[in-house]
Amino acid sequence: MGNPLTTPLAAEQPVVGQKPLPAPHPPARRAGPRVAHALGVVAPWIPALVPAAIVAAIIWQLLVASGVSLWPLRGPITFGWSFFGPHWNSAQNQWGIAVFVVGSFLTAVPALFLSLFIGLGIAIASTTYLPGFVTRILDPFVDLLAGIPSVVYGIWAFLVIAPFFGTQLNPWLYDHAHFIPGFSGPPPEAIGTGLPIGIFILTIMALPITTLLIRDALRSVPKDLWESGLALGATRWETMRRVAIPHSTRGILSAGFLGFGRAFSETIALAMILGVQAAYPANFFQETATLATWMFENLDAAYGNSQWLAALSEMALVLLAVSLVVNILGRRLISSFVAYDVAGL
Amino acid sequence: MATAQATGPPLASDSLLYDRSARTRWRIGFDKWIGRLLPLLFLVALFPIIDLMYFVTVRAAPILSIGNLTNTSPYANLNGNAVGLALIGTFYVMAISTALAVLLGLFGGIATAEFLSERSAGWIRMTANMLAGTPSVVVGYFGYFAFVVYFGWGYSMIAGALTLAFFMTPYTFRTVDLAYTSIPRPIREAALGSGAKPYQYILKIGTPIAFPQVLTGVFLAMAIGIGETAPIVLTTHTSLLVPQSIYSGVTFLTYLVYTGYNLPPGENGLAKAFQAAFLIMVIVIALNIVVRIIAARYRKRLEGLFQ
Repeated sequence: MGNPLTTPLAAEQPVVGQKPLPAPHPPARRAGPRVAHALGVVAPWIPALVPAAIVAAIIWQLLVASGVSLWPLRGPITFGWSFFGPHWNSAQNQWGIAVFVVGSFLTAVPALFLSLFIGLGIAIASTTYLPGFVTRILDPFVDLLAGIPSVVYGIWAFLVIAPFFGTQLNPWLYDHAHFIPGFSGPPPEAIGTGLPIGIFILTIMALPITTLLIRDALRSVPKDLWESGLALGATRWETMRRVAIPHSTRGILSAGFLGFGRAFSETIALAMILGVQAAYPANFFQETATLATWMFENLDAAYGNSQWLAALSEMALVLLAVSLVVNILGRRLISSFVAYDVAGL
Repeated sequence: MATAQATGPPLASDSLLYDRSARTRWRIGFDKWIGRLLPLLFLVALFPIIDLMYFVTVRAAPILSIGNLTNTSPYANLNGNAVGLALIGTFYVMAISTALAVLLGLFGGIATAEFLSERSAGWIRMTANMLAGTPSVVVGYFGYFAFVVYFGWGYSMIAGALTLAFFMTPYTFRTVDLAYTSIPRPIREAALGSGAKPYQYILKIGTPIAFPQVLTGVFLAMAIGIGETAPIVLTTHTSLLVPQSIYSGVTFLTYLVYTGYNLPPGENGLAKAFQAAFLIMVIVIALNIVVRIIAARYRKRLEGLFQ
């Protein structure tokens, strides 16, 4: 069909004795306007595709560094399925990342649940129970938690919190909670590094994200719904429990995903306080390693060993895949832009 | 128990508020007490941030001095408490990476907000979110393999700056995009309807309105970048010379914190770590406060635009 302005009109019955009129607009044949139009369509895509290009470059570079050949498809990659096995031993050429995957989940999952519940409590208090002027003072502090660099968290946790954990909390837990599986076995060290403080610091670091997203979800509950709950005789807590929280399920879920993404990929703070041990923790008080901390601490040692570098690059791919999936899921659940003026979101 | 009267309007004593049954008293009491207990959870968030600021300030204050911040001699930076070289290195790396991130974010954000269809923009925004969600250590690995090894620049300022720029770009990108998207539609339609070309609308109408929000994006990206450690440690390492070119090695402030935090008390490394941690913390908190102020005023201005 084409452009209605340039295509000739349907042939009419020629009037007898008159020559047919020429088509009103000759079709555009010059290249200039069409090229300009195409440029105008293509040009915005070039800067817009920059983030996608960076992500693609990261993935491609890591694939190259891990020596993977995409075809023929040989299971995961250079090392076969033993890559997901439990043995990591650079001297014997064994590259299994199960220990670090377990370490990542052991720290990230408890931290996520703690920060979800604390964040939910803070969000409820801030939206429902506290007067506005108190909220306006306290909320910025929570947002500021997101901005503190993780290395500053690390030095604070190592020098202030770890001694308390090592000399007070861990021995007390060891003495009084040994009937719980995982709390008995080798006694905790006085230095205080290990799983408990790792979970503690991840909870603090994921807290601003979960709080902020849940707060935003609770604030966006329509006022009509809230007031009809109250008008039916429900207390504020019952309205929150039966109306507001069910209404903001998506926001809470996305807080879970994004908080998990933050906790799962945290590197520096954990490298400073979790210790770096390529072994399953013998009990709750031991040091272990996560995917991120192990990668971070091993790049220097792997210099010149191509197998080692390849294994580390594959770990990077695994970490990247998990965080991308978690982030995409978390973002798709919230359609609006939430609080882009807070660092780390 | 009050009984309803046969005639006349209902009394307040008939309402639920005067129901004194045990169950209702329990419900109301529960609501009251949870309203008193839940705000205590704020302490979980307030304790770390206040204790952390107090701790870092108290430990850094006796060491911090103008002399330490400006001394760039190799000896003082290696064996003394001086952090001058790290300050210079941080300044250069941040300058390059901020410039790059602003450039990429500005063009990308405007293109996404103004020129792409809603559907395409959604996909582009997803890729920006993906990049923002990429773990910092993975970006650091990419920087190491690409810039340090493949391009052969070694541990250098440009390798660190490019890696950091890639890390910061999604933050500028998303705030610029958001700034131009949130300009009220009638304003855009009025400009285009009265004959402005798209570029005229962007330069003369859109940018003055969106500028504060764009600025928050820039500051936010700087706050994110200056606190990053993993990409920096993997791509710049350290140097004891004042950088001469973009291929020189540099020291970044976070590098000092990471290498000095576990030294025994009295070591110079620990003193430098505290100074560096204090500087980063002050810069990041200042940037965050500025961002909050600008964002609050901008929201007020946008609300004014709707009337």
